[in-house]
Amino acid sequence: MSRFIFSFQPKSLTARNARHTLAIHPVPARSLPRRRYSEIRQTSSTGARDRATVGVFTPKAAALFVVTGIGLFYYFQYEKQKLLEQRQKELESRSVGRAHVGGPFTLTTHENTPFSEKDLLGKWNLVYFGFTNCPDICPAELDKIGAVLTSLEKDHGTVFQPVFISVDPARDSVDQMKRYLADFHPRIIGLTGDYGTVKSTCKAYRVYFSTPPDADPRGDYLVDHSIYVYLMDPKGQFVEAFGQSSTPEEVVERVRKEMAAYEQENGRKV
Amino acid sequence: MGWFSSSKPEQASAASRTDRQKCWEARDSYFACLDRAGVLKAGEEKGACDGQKKAYDENCARSWIEYFNKRRVLAEQQKDRLLQSQDAKKKI
Repeated sequence: MSRFIFSFQPKSLTARNARHTLAIHPVPARSLPRRRYSEIRQTSSTGARDRATVGVFTPKAAALFVVTGIGLFYYFQYEKQKLLEQRQKELESRSVGRAHVGGPFTLTTHENTPFSEKDLLGKWNLVYFGFTNCPDICPAELDKIGAVLTSLEKDHGTVFQPVFISVDPARDSVDQMKRYLADFHPRIIGLTGDYGTVKSTCKAYRVYFSTPPDADPRGDYLVDHSIYVYLMDPKGQFVEAFGQSSTPEEVVERVRKEMAAYEQENGRKV
Repeated sequence: MGWFSSSKPEQASAASRTDRQKCWEARDSYFACLDRAGVLKAGEEKGACDGQKKAYDENCARSWIEYFNKRRVLAEQQKDRLLQSQDAKKKI
């Protein structure tokens, strides 16, 4: 940028003073002696007009312009950096840019008690959607949740609440859920309900499932559904979704990190 | 749905952990037999795996069998693609 301004000056001068022998040697502005520069203007018959066209564009002004330019350049860079850092902080922050996952629901636990989204409050929740007739993915994911819980509860105690929500309400009765969950971590809470409630819960959690409303309770069918374990914080807000490829170790590490951030932000674990 | 289970005790009660384990084992041995016979699609082995198939049918629900069989074919088709993408990742 500075080079452009300095080279601009002599060029315009030489062009304008081309008929004057004094000005036919283009001298770089940087090395142009001040007196000589003024001599040109004094000896020139059009000196006054030159000065008028050049205006306030003197070497001093040029230097000031360049310095200001450089200064502004770095200032804006600094501001931009600050803005980026702020945005990064916001992204990492737990309250801004959070996905809208979750919402109100009232379902029934495998112990036949009502359970609503308010029961998620005050606990770190791992929410998973599946069905009891699931061939292999659901049991594997539920075992994963069990392993995660065992590991986390060692250090943090029972501040966690694993929730298994059925996407197959036609077959997954309260009794069925109870029988099924007997094989898994004892703290997992199974939830089921009527088709409409399950459907709206799934919608709130952005979970897809394929069970038709008129599924035969005695039928032998599979349910296609989204496979995610959601981490919801003690305020009932969505934090993260873990896919099938997340290992128990990865989930544990992420939950620990989120708990530390939450504690720092809120001054308490839950 | 309580009355369904009481009036129809044979209602598809979900498999227990041991039931699942048995089914998976039967599936694995049947698929191993298909591999030995060089057959990808279940049912095309022309009686080569009758013993394993019988155990598979006995220990797994029909819907599970359909699912596992379909997945076996899909997994094979995806194997090449997976290998390719892994190679690509290694290069990066």
